Amino acid sequence: MTNYIIRRLAQAIPQLFLISVILFALMQAFGDPIATLGGRIPPRPEDRERLRRQLGLDQPVYKQYITWLIGNDWTKIDMDGDGVPETPGKRRGVLRGDWGNSLVTRQPVLEMIGNRLPNTLLLMLTAEFVIILSSIFIGLYSALRPYSWIDNLLTGLSFVGYSMPVFWLALMLMYIFAVNFRRWGLPYLPTVGMFDPAVGKTPGELIKHMILPVATLAIISTAGYSRFVRSSVLEVLGQDYVRTARAKGLRAMKVVFRHALPNAALPFITIIGLDIPILLAGAVVTERIFAWPGMGRLFIDHTERSDFPMLMGILMLISMAVVIFQIITDVVYSIVDPRIRLH
Amino acid sequence: MKQKFFVLLALLVLVSMLMTACGGGAVETPASEPPAGGQEPAPVEPAAPAQPTFSGTVTITFTQEPDNLNPMYTDMSFSGYLRPFYLKPSWDFDENAKPIPVLAKEIPSVDNGGLSADGKSVTIKLRDDITWSDGEPLTADDYVFTYDMIMSDKNVPLSRYPYEDYVTSVEAPDPTTVVITFNKPFAAWLTSLFYWVLPKHILQPVFEADGTIDNAEWNRNPTVGVGPFMLSEWETGSHLAFKANPNWIQPPKLEQVFIRIVPDDAAQEAAIFAGDTDIGVFLSSDQIDKLEATGKVKVVAVTSGYNEAWFLNVNPDTTHPAMLDVNVRKAIALATDRFTIVNDLLKAEINPVNVTYWDMTPPYQTDTLKPYPYDPEQAKQLLDAAGWIDSDGDGIRDKVIDGKKVDLKLRYITNQRELRKNVQAVVEQQWKLVGIGVELINYSSDVFWNSYNDGGPQAQGLYEIAEFSSVQDSYPDPDASSGWTCDQITSADNPEGGNNQGYCNPEIDKLMAEQATTLDPVKRKELYNQIEQIIYDDYVYIGMWKDPDLWSVSSRLKNVKFSGVYPFWNAYEWEVTD
Repeated sequence: MTNYIIRRLAQAIPQLFLISVILFALMQAFGDPIATLGGRIPPRPEDRERLRRQLGLDQPVYKQYITWLIGNDWTKIDMDGDGVPETPGKRRGVLRGDWGNSLVTRQPVLEMIGNRLPNTLLLMLTAEFVIILSSIFIGLYSALRPYSWIDNLLTGLSFVGYSMPVFWLALMLMYIFAVNFRRWGLPYLPTVGMFDPAVGKTPGELIKHMILPVATLAIISTAGYSRFVRSSVLEVLGQDYVRTARAKGLRAMKVVFRHALPNAALPFITIIGLDIPILLAGAVVTERIFAWPGMGRLFIDHTERSDFPMLMGILMLISMAVVIFQIITDVVYSIVDPRIRLH
Repeated sequence: MKQKFFVLLALLVLVSMLMTACGGGAVETPASEPPAGGQEPAPVEPAAPAQPTFSGTVTITFTQEPDNLNPMYTDMSFSGYLRPFYLKPSWDFDENAKPIPVLAKEIPSVDNGGLSADGKSVTIKLRDDITWSDGEPLTADDYVFTYDMIMSDKNVPLSRYPYEDYVTSVEAPDPTTVVITFNKPFAAWLTSLFYWVLPKHILQPVFEADGTIDNAEWNRNPTVGVGPFMLSEWETGSHLAFKANPNWIQPPKLEQVFIRIVPDDAAQEAAIFAGDTDIGVFLSSDQIDKLEATGKVKVVAVTSGYNEAWFLNVNPDTTHPAMLDVNVRKAIALATDRFTIVNDLLKAEINPVNVTYWDMTPPYQTDTLKPYPYDPEQAKQLLDAAGWIDSDGDGIRDKVIDGKKVDLKLRYITNQRELRKNVQAVVEQQWKLVGIGVELINYSSDVFWNSYNDGGPQAQGLYEIAEFSSVQDSYPDPDASSGWTCDQITSADNPEGGNNQGYCNPEIDKLMAEQATTLDPVKRKELYNQIEQIIYDDYVYIGMWKDPDLWSVSSRLKNVKFSGVYPFWNAYEWEVTD
C-alpha cells in the first residue's frame, strides 16, 4: 500500500506541472490587471507603462511562467525604465515555496489564502456534516419505505430543493429570518458577516451567523445526495446477501446497518471524496451573499481584477487537493471493501 | 468506518472553528470596557487631564474590500474612503468641496505667502501640535520622505501624479515648513498634492532594510496614523475595525468604526433593512424609496464629479465613416430620448440628464448650455441631408461610399452593469424609429478598460459609442487634459494615450494648456466654459445622467456630512444615539 501511495504521488508531479502550464496559459485570456488597479478610473498612461514594466507584465508569457515557477532572484530587472536591468529580482518561485504576491494587494498569495482557508473550512465542513447526516437519514428512510407517501413527499421536496437557485434561496432565508422576523418581533438571525461588532467574535456569535449560510448550502445539496443514498440503498436491499441475512432471521435494523449500508456506502464515498477538495474552493454565491470571508469570494474578487498570481495560487491549491483526495478515496475504498486490492 | 469518518469530519469542523475564532486575535470591543486609549487602565486620579469619552460603534458596509491601506499603492475608492479615519490630508474638503486646513495651519494662497505669484511654488505651513498616533511628531520631514518614496525607482507606486509631471523638489527648511517647487505653474495643486503623508519613522527603517516599502507591514496594518481613529484590526474578507485615537487634535465621539465587507448589493440592502449596518454604500436610485419607507434610513446623494455619458469615436482610423460628420453625431444626440431613460430607469431628481463632462465639478460646470433635446424628426432630416437613406428598406439607413454600400450600424459598447444593458435596449428601440442600426456589446470591466496593446476595445477604438461613468483625474480640480487633447490620441505609436475618441481640436488644445497654468479660479472657469461650448458644438460627448454617490445613513447616527472628495471627512464629529 505504501508503495502504491508513493507511486501515485510521483505520478501527480507531472500531472500538476501540466495543469500549471495550462492554467498559466489560460490566465493570459483575462483582462489587463493594470486596467482595474485604479478603482473607478483606470491609471494614467505613464503609470500604466511603468507599472507593467516594474511588475514584469511586459515580459513574454514563457518568461513570466518561469519567474512564477522558479523565481527571478538570479537575474536583474529594470525598475527605473532606462532599458538596462539593474535591480536584482526577489522572487523565488513556486518550487521554492514563493507563490508570489497578489498584484492587487501586494501581499503574499500564500498568506492571503491562509487567511481565508479556515473560514471556508469552517463553513463548508459544517455544511458537509449536515448534508451527509441529513441525506443519509432521508435517503435511508425513503429507501426503507419506497413509494410510501413520505417517500413521495421527500422526493418532491428534493426536486424543489435541487432546482432552487442558490442566490434566491439565500436571499429568501435572509429576508425571512433576519429582516422580517426582526420586524415582527420574533427571535431573529443576523443578516451578514461572522459576528456582531458590538458583541465581539465569540463562538456563540459564530454559530448564530453560520446558521443561514449552512442552511442554504445544506438545503441545496441534501436534495441531490439523499436521492443518491436512496437509490444505492434500494439497489443493495435487493441483493442476495441481504435476502440471506433476512432469511436467517436477523433483526431489520441489523440487516440495514450491518449489511446494506456499508455496501451502499461505496459509491457515496466516491462522491464525497470528489467533493471535499471542491469544498476548499468555497461556495462563491453563498459566501458572497452572507458576506462570509471565504475562498470563493477571494477567487471571485481577484478574478474580477485579473490578479493572476492569486488565481494561480488558488487553482493550484485546488488541483493539488483534488489529486490528493483521489488517492485518499482509493485508499479508503480498499479499506471499506476488502475485495479491492491496490497495487 | 462511517463512524470514524464522522468523528474525523466533526474534528475538522471543531479545529477550523477554533482557528477562525482565535485567528487574528479577537476584536476587543465590549462596549462596557472603559474607553481609555491604549492598553493602560483609565486614570483613576481625578487630577489627571480629562480623558475624552468615546461611545458607540458605527457599522459601515463596503461592497468591495480595500486592497491596500498605503495610498501610494491604491486608487481604489474604498481604500480612499477609509483615509479620513487614520490618515488625514494636509487639508480636507468639506461637504461643499471647500478646503479646510488639517495638518496645514492654513490653505496656501498668494495672500498668505503660501503660493508664489508665478504659481511655481507652494509653501505648506504645518501645525506644530500634530503627532502620529504613537506620539511621534509629524514634521516636514515626513512630507519629504513621502515624496522620495513616490519617486524612488525601488518602489512600485500606483501613480506618480502629479510629482513626476510638475514637481522639481520638495524641501523642509524647518520642521513645520514644506516648500514644493514646480517646473511650471500648476493649477491643480490644491487637490493633488500631499493629501496623504507617510510616517517616516515607521517606513524609513523598512526601506533601508528591504530596499523597498512595497511589502511593508504598515501598508496592510497602518496602526500608526494621523487621524481621529486608529486601525485596530483588518481581517481580510470580513471587516476592518478602527478605534478612537484620544491623541488626535479633533477627538472623536465614537469608540469604534466597524467596516464590514458585504459584496452582494441585495444582501447589503437586507442588512440596511435589518439595521445591521449604519451606513450603506453605492446604492442605486431605485433603492431610495423602499429604504426611506422604513423611516429609519435616509439616503443622501453626494456629488463626487461623476457623470454617466457617451463618448463618441471620431477617429477616422477606427470609427464608422458616418461618425466623422458632425450632423450625423448631432442626429444621434437628437434621436436619443435620455429624459425618458432617466425617468424610467433611474430617479430623475437624483440623476438628471447632464450636459457636459464638468457638470458635477462645480464651479466649472456650464451655466448656459442645456442638454441636447429629443427631436427624432430633426434627426431624420439631418440624416437625410447627410445622405444616409434607407435605400434597401431593411430599416437601417445606408449610403454608398467609394462605390460600396455602408449600413448606418454603430457599435455601442459598455460593461456588464445591468442598468447599462437596460439603457442599451431602450436606445436600440429609440434609434429604430430614425433608422439607425446598433450592435450592443458588453465587456467585463477588466476587458473594457484593457490597454491598447492588450486589445482593449475602448483603447483600440472598437466602438462608435462608449458608455461609462467618469470623473476628472483629481476631482474637485477640473483638469482633464489627458483625455481631450490631440497629443493624447491613442494609437500604435502612443498606445497609452488617454484620448481614444481620436477627438482633436486645436482650440481645445490651446485652452487646456492655458487652464493648466491659470491659478485664478474665476479666469479658469471662463476657460472651461469655452471648452465646454466647443465640445458641445462638436457633438463628441453626449451626457446621459449626473451620477452622484448614494449613501444610506441610519437615523441613530448624527452629524454625518458627506463630502464628494473624502466622504467620511468629518467622522470625528459623528455620534450615535440609541
